Amino acid sequence: MTKEEIKNMNGEIKMTQLIKARKGIITPEVERLAKLEGLTSDELCEKVALGRVVIMKNKNHKNGIAVAVGEGLRTKVNANIGTSPDCVDFEDELNKMRIAQAAGADAIMELSTGGDIDAFRRKLLSTCTMPVGSVSTYQAGMESIAKNGSIVGMKVEDMFEMIERQAADGIDFMAIHSALTRPLIETLRRQGRVTDIVSRGGSFLTAWMFHNDQENPLYTQFDRVLEICKKYDMCLSIGDAIRPGCIADSLDRAQVQGVIIAGELVKRSLDAGVQVMVEGPGHVPLDQVPATIMLQKQLCHRVPYYILGTLCTDIAPGYDHITGAIGATTAAIAGANFICYLTPAEHLRLPTAEDVHTGVIATRIGCHAADIVNKVKGAWEWDLEMAHARKALDWNKQIELSIDPPTARRIRGERNEEGDEACSMCGGFCAMKVVGEYLGTTEGKC
Amino acid sequence: MTLMEMAQKGQEIPLFTVIAQNEQMDVQLLMERVGTGRIVIPYNIHHQPKQAQGFGLGLSTKVSASIGLDADEDRLEDELFKADEAIRAGTNAIMDLSTAGDMDEARRAIIKRVPLPLGTLPVYQAFAEVVRTKGSALALEPEDFFKVMERQAADGVDFMALHSALHTGLFKTAKEDKRVLNLVSRGGTLLMGWMLYHNKENFLYTMFDRILEIAKKYEVTLSLADAMRPGAGADSLCGSQVEELTVLGQLVKRSRHAGVQIMIKGPGHTPPNQIAATVQLQKQVCHGAPYFVFGPVSTDVAPGYDEITAAIGGAMASAAGADILCYVTPAEHIAYPNAQDVYRGVVAARIAAHVGDLAKGCPGAENWDLQMSQARREQDVEAQKKLALDQDRLGDFHASEKPFCKKCEKGCAMAVAGEFFQELPWEC
Repeated sequence: MTKEEIKNMNGEIKMTQLIKARKGIITPEVERLAKLEGLTSDELCEKVALGRVVIMKNKNHKNGIAVAVGEGLRTKVNANIGTSPDCVDFEDELNKMRIAQAAGADAIMELSTGGDIDAFRRKLLSTCTMPVGSVSTYQAGMESIAKNGSIVGMKVEDMFEMIERQAADGIDFMAIHSALTRPLIETLRRQGRVTDIVSRGGSFLTAWMFHNDQENPLYTQFDRVLEICKKYDMCLSIGDAIRPGCIADSLDRAQVQGVIIAGELVKRSLDAGVQVMVEGPGHVPLDQVPATIMLQKQLCHRVPYYILGTLCTDIAPGYDHITGAIGATTAAIAGANFICYLTPAEHLRLPTAEDVHTGVIATRIGCHAADIVNKVKGAWEWDLEMAHARKALDWNKQIELSIDPPTARRIRGERNEEGDEACSMCGGFCAMKVVGEYLGTTEGKC
Repeated sequence: MTLMEMAQKGQEIPLFTVIAQNEQMDVQLLMERVGTGRIVIPYNIHHQPKQAQGFGLGLSTKVSASIGLDADEDRLEDELFKADEAIRAGTNAIMDLSTAGDMDEARRAIIKRVPLPLGTLPVYQAFAEVVRTKGSALALEPEDFFKVMERQAADGVDFMALHSALHTGLFKTAKEDKRVLNLVSRGGTLLMGWMLYHNKENFLYTMFDRILEIAKKYEVTLSLADAMRPGAGADSLCGSQVEELTVLGQLVKRSRHAGVQIMIKGPGHTPPNQIAATVQLQKQVCHGAPYFVFGPVSTDVAPGYDEITAAIGGAMASAAGADILCYVTPAEHIAYPNAQDVYRGVVAARIAAHVGDLAKGCPGAENWDLQMSQARREQDVEAQKKLALDQDRLGDFHASEKPFCKKCEKGCAMAVAGEFFQELPWEC
């Protein structure tokens, strides 16, 4: 390293993790995360340099602990929280964050639309050590209603001011719907979808563009977005404004055109030294999941793919944590890196704390099943250890190793009496023992 | 004549017509597949389930739920309630796996109660009875087993799980496999212990013709079980599992030759990337016989949530060609399932089956999703409730307030966007 580079590193002037990695600087984050993920620091550094891994950590999120997302790493899980106009209880939402973290979530998205959103975000960032993401357009839209009477009356300057405000507070990754353009909306209109736009931020912007007869400023002034991201080393998460809202709309012309535009923006982000990932669907039938992921990976220069679900069927409201877990496994095997959870409340209402817990666990199961296949370090070994504990009838070990120990302990404890090992099936001659002796192993239980 | 023989002779009975209609399949095609064994219709002449079901190629993927008396859970009314809950949750078949109490009484009560195909695992009762009469499961005589099998068949059991492919030739491989969890099949373990103790061949294998005779007499569909089913992801597709599969394939041929309907049971713990291979292997080696898988459980680490690990595996298996999914409940591996577990297990398995049906292109599957999506677009809550896979679940949900709308004073963004797309205003 030259003296100049060291000075830059110490001063952290306009140096994102991406730029540092390109210069071959092993940052403390890279060193720590490489160990955690079972890679060498050089390997991780190279992946960051290529944009295939992002390190989510805003310079201003003081107590934040960086998390890496991308190729060759454990599949990560995000949980959404946030206030709504009808339901502004900071403590409730902070509690959901803590529950998500206890259940093993890797990141949180703060999607508040009610109450003092600035105050809540700052409170959250000061207590949450996980990376925190946001969709700045939500708050921009809400403030515009207060100020201008409507979302469509939003001023362009206010959109950028909001991105800057949230970034300065320490948001680690931000969903920005820059890949939504007027020609794309026209394609969508001609397509004749079943459910046109289900992304809320995407709907706001579509309405704004149509009402004001203007192109999307987040697209036309994308360089401004990049500048802000770079300043705080905030990871840009290119929003998926036109993600399919039902499986019938999956992989239509509009979606594919949207991925192409996202690819252009990824290129510009990488050129600017901004860490970037791309958001993806949504409702996708199981047989279309690998194609969906492969298309994005190819068109978007192999940057990390952040997926909602995927939900592999539309007909199970109340159980979308399960439709999502099924999709998550297939998606992560195909190359998705970061999965936004779905809770049993999806499509129905805001999730309760219990829904948050269930959603995180279900999504982790889906991701882990994929990690086994993807040969993520420790994944296969975890299952093997559980199998050994089962063979040894070691209940404490089994519970300790389970993905949600309190739940496993509760179910086991409720219904099994202590020392319930007796078996009267074979009298003095135990069939299990005979089999165990033959196979040269310890006896199990039938 | 058995159903298989009638189908071969082109005799279109109302049973074929009704199932073909329900499944949107041409009745001639259905009969061709029943005749060649690609589809089975478990239909004991002494039960004749009112809601008969077909399992197999081109039909929607089905779900089976297991109940039964156990040493610790020996109240018949509890098990009957579980059967009711499984039916309410939408199961397509029920298995009575009783191993304790008055098993005959339980079975007869369940058969009377259940309008769906009913399955059993007769060695459970056979072993349990000799424990009572002779003091040890190892004292079982083949005759004891055949008496139980005949009794169950005469009572109207529609399909029976039998470990006929377990024979001494597999033991060497099983020993060399050095699996993490040797045998997790309970019936398989009891039989193997019996075989080793007596140094005898498995009577379910040597006396398979006698099994075929009883099956033929009552139109019992055989559901040959896999004693070597893996009990851990690490044991998946090991030598003994695959070797047993080839034996199962031989038995499929013999069964079809006798005009007896047959399906094959499968795993079990299988990592996601081995599921398609497992299903394809079975389909080829077992001559396209319908495949009845247990889960598959896609990871070992989530006790308390195995309805989810199995839904992941089941969706993949169904997409790869599995025809019926045995449910797995949240209590799997840790406790005996209660009625709520049964309900949740069935729903999760139905989701998996439907996801597979979408991937396989089953008639009607796609349209169901489309109707739900149109109901969402039109904000038709009643239609959404009616179309939901578990309608009862939505009662608690829709009561709460709309999560978001703060009402734009001058022009609703959703209305503006909706106007552009020329449809109803959206909800934000």
